[in-house]
Amino acid sequence: MNKISRDFSIMVTTVALAAVLAGAWLADIDRESDSRARLLPDQMMTLFSDPKPLKAFALTDDRNRVFDLENLKGKWSFLFFGFTHCPDVCPTTLAVLARAREHIAKNTVGAGNLQFVFVSVDPNRDTAAKLRQYVNYFDASFVGVTGDDAQIGNLAGQLGATYEVAIAPGAENYPVYHSTAVFLVDPRARYHAVFTPPLDAEVISRRFKVVRELEGDNPT
Amino acid sequence: MRWRYPVFICLITAFGLVPAAGKAEGVSVRDAWIRQAPPGATVMAGYLELRNSTSRPQVLEAASSTGFASVMMHRTVVRDGMAGMEHLSRTELAPNASLIFAPGGSHLMLMNPKQALRAGDTVVVELEFRGGLVLPVTFAVRK
Repeated sequence: MNKISRDFSIMVTTVALAAVLAGAWLADIDRESDSRARLLPDQMMTLFSDPKPLKAFALTDDRNRVFDLENLKGKWSFLFFGFTHCPDVCPTTLAVLARAREHIAKNTVGAGNLQFVFVSVDPNRDTAAKLRQYVNYFDASFVGVTGDDAQIGNLAGQLGATYEVAIAPGAENYPVYHSTAVFLVDPRARYHAVFTPPLDAEVISRRFKVVRELEGDNPT
Repeated sequence: MRWRYPVFICLITAFGLVPAAGKAEGVSVRDAWIRQAPPGATVMAGYLELRNSTSRPQVLEAASSTGFASVMMHRTVVRDGMAGMEHLSRTELAPNASLIFAPGGSHLMLMNPKQALRAGDTVVVELEFRGGLVLPVTFAVRK
């Protein structure tokens, strides 16, 4: 379709991003008084100038272990909210994230402390075993987590993720609505940035590299 | 609205479409594919590019396949950053234009495959147009 123009715009926005990061942003930029969000020129990644520390939450991972705030510390985490019965958006996004992980591993020094977390908003159907099978299909390193509605709502609320599960009694299939964004949490368990569609593996990888370089190797 | 996936993209320029899977009454198809389902998934999505080279609209009213329990036309809609699905009872192809079913936009929702489909497999889905035209389309399963 419009791949060439998109590639070109990615290139242009990458240059623009580098310019922004090298100049204005590293200097004492004007922060919007009404919002801590800064939308970068490409509109694909929103980077927070004042990352928000996440508060305690508790979920369960795909091996039935506790997954809580501690699991987000010491590594960069990409989080995506979805459900395994999702035919279009979730497999598309997880496939992009699997490619992004590969790309990051090849191109970013110290990419070891990285995790990708798929948060199922449909615990009714997504058991730990199903989640594990599902996320492993995309990448063996991916982690699936879920919990009850209050537990999912806690983390979702902190990240601004939205979802709605329209369970109909007795129905095998019911609609599930969920955020399409991918959330980036830094090694201090702070909500650091968010990626919004259209998502592209290489762009995510390049943006992440810049974010990491800005933060230094060991943000503490 | 940041969502820019092609939902309905009409390409006005007529570039030659290779009728990969079938051609009848001026409607042709290319790049018909189904995303291989992750383990446990019972719903798959089919994507394709349809071209109407006639001078009148063509209306896709239904789809069916012996490979699946049911086939429906769906569209992913994103409102306030939240995705959901909308059932499409019909899809109109404008005269001399293409329509793309692509990830994040319109897709064929393929429910309960009768046998496991893996990358490299093919499956035929029949597209039923208003006026009685039935177009059998061979979809390739891809990872």
